Amino acid sequence: MRLVLERVGHAFLGRAVLEDFDLSLAAGEVVALLGPSGCGKTTVLQIAAGLLDPLRGRVQRHYRRHAVVFQEPRLLPWFTAHDNIAYGLRAAGVARAERAAIVAQRAQDVGLSLHDLDKYPAELSGGMRQRVAVARALAVRPDMVYFDEPFTAVDVGLKRILQDLVIEAAAREQFSALFVTHDLWEAVRVAHRLLLLPRRADGPVVARAIAGEPGRRRERDIFALVEAWSADPAFRELFDGRESVH
Amino acid sequence: MVRRLMAFIGWAGRYVWSAWAGACGLLCIAAAWQGAHEFYGSFVLPSPVETLHEVAAILREPWFVRAAGETAVRSLIGFALAVGIGTLTGAIAGYSFAAMRLMRPIVTVILGVPPIAWIVLALIWFGSSGGSAVMTVVVAALPISFAGGLEGVATRDRALDAMARSFGGGMWLRFRTLTLPHLISYLFPAWTTTAGTAWKVTVMAELLSNTGGIGGELATARALFDIPRVMALIVAVVAFALLTEYALLHPLRDRLERWREAGLPWGVKR
Repeated sequence: MRLVLERVGHAFLGRAVLEDFDLSLAAGEVVALLGPSGCGKTTVLQIAAGLLDPLRGRVQRHYRRHAVVFQEPRLLPWFTAHDNIAYGLRAAGVARAERAAIVAQRAQDVGLSLHDLDKYPAELSGGMRQRVAVARALAVRPDMVYFDEPFTAVDVGLKRILQDLVIEAAAREQFSALFVTHDLWEAVRVAHRLLLLPRRADGPVVARAIAGEPGRRRERDIFALVEAWSADPAFRELFDGRESVH
Repeated sequence: MVRRLMAFIGWAGRYVWSAWAGACGLLCIAAAWQGAHEFYGSFVLPSPVETLHEVAAILREPWFVRAAGETAVRSLIGFALAVGIGTLTGAIAGYSFAAMRLMRPIVTVILGVPPIAWIVLALIWFGSSGGSAVMTVVVAALPISFAGGLEGVATRDRALDAMARSFGGGMWLRFRTLTLPHLISYLFPAWTTTAGTAWKVTVMAELLSNTGGIGGELATARALFDIPRVMALIVAVVAFALLTEYALLHPLRDRLERWREAGLPWGVKR
């Protein structure tokens, strides 16, 4: 197991968002974390990635290095795309000359041209910025990647391309991933299995395995599964459109 | 290397060329000045040309070079101290809420005391030396840098900070790559204001405390009713202030903030 969360609980200003939450991720496994907005998906991710200390419970990380892809690209506006991709490497203390080669490779992996690498984020389109963010995460050769609704802001066509990119990279480099999303279709495309968080912290967590390997599933089967689960009472909260009451 | 050199030449050319727009503004002032001169006559207000002749004359005189040097050194020391102390304390206040609570009222008090009162105090403390001018500059200009440092650090992007922490970036790396570039965009306006203030306040303090420098010469010229010389000295001080801002601070800012220009749509670039 690369990541184990045991009986994790958290509250913001006394309001419980998570209670007795368990999660374990095997090597090379991609788990999608779904839930209605405000249910604490991002909180789980932040706790797992060590960006937030849980109030209760234990987090065990059995991996070398992780990377996070956030909902917004979170690029440094004063760095070029090249330096942004290299940022994680720089934090890890990789020498400058070595960084350049890795950056060029990763840029190619996510479909950025060498010409784009000299541009500042302000000169890139939204989709390209998110590509840079993905390249930055992959550059550190992580064995665990956290995705926090990374493709919410891009259009459907681009979303599919970026998802395929992630699926391909996960298969190639065998990293585990926790993929937070509120999009059932996206979850079914990229993940091995999914977890559905309830709106109330003490509600039941729904776990479902998804047949087949990500990237090998037929589009028709994906749509059929999404269709079937949309009608499933267990997934009702995901579609009722209500925001969580704070 | 060659590419970098070409880019630098291109930038420098654009920068110098942009001076035309600035020159237009200055010439408008000169036109108004000329108009006022023709109305009031040379004794009250010498014309721009007369003044420029006088400037050319005093530039050749050794006393002026010495006086300008004195004033420059004093305002530079005052600028460095004000910017150094102000930025440092401001940044500390930005990081620590408690420090901010403690320092804000102190700065408000400093801000509330009129500079003229500081000159009187400085005269008593430092006597007729350059120290009084330096202290007045520091006290008058410090709050601006403090506010710049405070706002810059307090408004740093915490989302970017979380990103850097997720990669295991240490304190120093995060300060250098996240907080500092953001801070600089807050500090430059404070620094340009401080540079202008430094020249002005130094001359004022010198004039009032009669401690030489351009202010001292201004006092002498006033006593002798040498109006062209008064005007020439004023023009010289303004020229120094313009020079510090446009030959020193602005190019520096341009070099440091090239990324900002990248965000502008084509055609708006300068």
